[in-house]
Amino acid sequence: MYRSTRGLPVAVAAAAVLFIAGRFVPALAGDTGGAPEGPTIGPEVPAVEISLAYRPELDPGRAGYYGFGTTATPEMIAGWDIDVRPDGTGLPEGSGSVEEGEPLYEEQCAACHGFFGEGEGRWPKLAGGYGTLTEARPEKTIGSYWPYASTVWDYVHRAMPFFEPQSLTDDEVYAIVAYLLYLNDIVGDDFVLTRDNLAGIEMPHRDGFFVDPRPDVQNVACMKDCKDPDSIKITWDSTDLGVTPTEFFKGDEEEGETATAADPNLGLNVYQQACATCHKGGLAGAPIVGDRDQWRTRLAQGMDVLVEHAVNGYQGSAGYMPPKGGQIQLTDEEVAAAVRYMTASASE
Amino acid sequence: MSKAGHDRVADLLGKVADAASRVPREDRRNFLKRGLALAGAAVAGPAMAAGDESFLPPNIPPWTRSLGRGVVTVPYGMPSAHEADVIRRTVPWLTASNISSISFTPLPELFGIITPNGLVFERYHAGVPEIDPAEHRLMIHGMVDRPIVLTMEDLMRFPSVSVIRFIECPANGGMEWRGAQMEALQFTHGMLSCCEWTGVPLSVLLEEVGVKRGASWVLAEGADGAAMTRSIPMEKALDDSLVVYAQNGEALRPEQGYPVRLLNPGWEGNTSVKWLRRLEVGDQPWYQREETSKYTDLMPDGRARKFTFVQETNSVITFPCPERPFTTPGRYEIQGLAWSGRGRIRRVDVSLDGGVNWQEARLKGLVLPKALTRFSFMWDWDGSPALLQSRSMDETGYVQPTLTQLRAVRGVESIYHKNAIHTWRLDQTGGVTNVQID
Repeated sequence: MYRSTRGLPVAVAAAAVLFIAGRFVPALAGDTGGAPEGPTIGPEVPAVEISLAYRPELDPGRAGYYGFGTTATPEMIAGWDIDVRPDGTGLPEGSGSVEEGEPLYEEQCAACHGFFGEGEGRWPKLAGGYGTLTEARPEKTIGSYWPYASTVWDYVHRAMPFFEPQSLTDDEVYAIVAYLLYLNDIVGDDFVLTRDNLAGIEMPHRDGFFVDPRPDVQNVACMKDCKDPDSIKITWDSTDLGVTPTEFFKGDEEEGETATAADPNLGLNVYQQACATCHKGGLAGAPIVGDRDQWRTRLAQGMDVLVEHAVNGYQGSAGYMPPKGGQIQLTDEEVAAAVRYMTASASE
Repeated sequence: MSKAGHDRVADLLGKVADAASRVPREDRRNFLKRGLALAGAAVAGPAMAAGDESFLPPNIPPWTRSLGRGVVTVPYGMPSAHEADVIRRTVPWLTASNISSISFTPLPELFGIITPNGLVFERYHAGVPEIDPAEHRLMIHGMVDRPIVLTMEDLMRFPSVSVIRFIECPANGGMEWRGAQMEALQFTHGMLSCCEWTGVPLSVLLEEVGVKRGASWVLAEGADGAAMTRSIPMEKALDDSLVVYAQNGEALRPEQGYPVRLLNPGWEGNTSVKWLRRLEVGDQPWYQREETSKYTDLMPDGRARKFTFVQETNSVITFPCPERPFTTPGRYEIQGLAWSGRGRIRRVDVSLDGGVNWQEARLKGLVLPKALTRFSFMWDWDGSPALLQSRSMDETGYVQPTLTQLRAVRGVESIYHKNAIHTWRLDQTGGVTNVQID
């Protein structure tokens, strides 16, 4: 248990007294280069470094010890206090149905997470996976793994959709979460999720977690003849798979991924940082780099239009281009460079 | 300035020009050529040509007979162009996007225990936000007597502390539970860095706002697009958690949470929430996404460990390693790093024969709690193949386990907290390969 806050200065003072009493090793404290021979640092040696914050006496007449900062008003707190706990604390008014969630999910989520929550590429799988937690390659989805529905609401609200976090209304979040629960067979297709019923939803894996029991293994520091040398077998050799980028230290391969880190080509760098997530594989209807057919009609509009769409965002028939790919810190020129890069590689 | 003064300046400038022109023409051409090769190397990687003999003793190289660049040519200093290969790297297939991804510190190329700021590994869930510190606020509220909002200026008025602590992603080494697949030390152990951090103890801030009776957890939240959150037990918050705004003597780097982050020494890195905007005091954990769906450790029975905070002791030999092999037989200083989230390193042992026999290594330099600790072992290598291992013991007496021991308890699907003894196979040419042995 933690100590009471009033008790803290006392505890700190006690630590300082121990220090002053000389229970540190002067040779170590003063000699940063001192390399002790052997195991001279044991549990009986107290801290070499003593770095405590100065704490003035508590003055009952003051607000706090220092009085720095300003009061957080209820309005300020309300705007930022977005967390939701398993008991439902923090949920706002609102509701959303599975039926309302379906089109929202397909528009906002399916490009990465798949229409059935199956996950595109390496984007997270959200649904299914029941019975796989004890198997090789377990599928940890909302249904198979997440212990509380509150976490789904909290996370979708705070961090999704990936390209435009905190852009959904509360009702939209309720609807999308309802649909996610439906995709995981936790609620029926007529379900309506509300502030009042969310905490009551029993997630299948809710009892599947327990507090860290480590240390859970006990090795011993054997020094001599610890095992039979003939018994040693090499069970894995990392070079067998060939999945590591190694060109930076193995001279026998083409320069690869690492070359881009210092690539002077602005367009390429911006593309990789901001655009490749969608434009490499065609997520969310994005035209794929290098696919001439996909770019032809777009290029016909002229470069100025393409850049304008990339900078300010664009809702097209194929999908939605968020302003600057969601990376609003990019300058217009950086975005334009990326557009030039993508279109150039499409016309090669 | 007097005329005499002007004359002296003119004279000096003339001598400078003269000195520059006296560099032999051949040298200047070579210098130019090398400069171009260098510029190319910065892009292309390790293609540096071997030194020009004419620069070696007894000859005098041109940089000794000419002038270098003046002050503030590079106002913020950068490493030598010859160090262009010492950079963070990523493994592209690990994640879906580089916006929510991880990079690795080049451990083979580092010295001592401090990681330079530009090489500290990166991990974020929604990219690096660009935050103007004047517009950043840290709010502390919840079960407190006086909820407050702090500007960066307010925060920096509190008395500060500076400590050297490692930070490590719990997924460090997590690609190797099933088997060895990373061919480089940078990727087997590089989700690890160690800095001097400066900031305010969280306990000071909590005292300032007055924690109400019954409060037992603190939620930390970032200002990034992931609004990254973790629930921190009050015991830790009052023990050694810090709210830090500087690393290695300068403001935090943007990718490390500029302008302010939490630092939970010895605990899995993601609890040290970056771009910290909010601390909420409560009486139970929040069960956020990053402490349920992620950063929980799945066991073979289908249940999972939660709140697996501490980074248990771990160690690895950093020389030799795949990126830095031995060359010819002879005397070598085997070096490595050891660390523990539970305190100081007490001892490190080295094995040359795959764990049959062990010898104690020497700890070098500072031996600080929850900090990287460098070890050293002198060895006369005769050119025979060897299986090199290191094994750390921390001040609690806990000994770094074997992978076999970890797998026996945890299986191979828990992703996080693999702190097993690591094996490098040294072959007759001095080459080093990441292997696993049984």
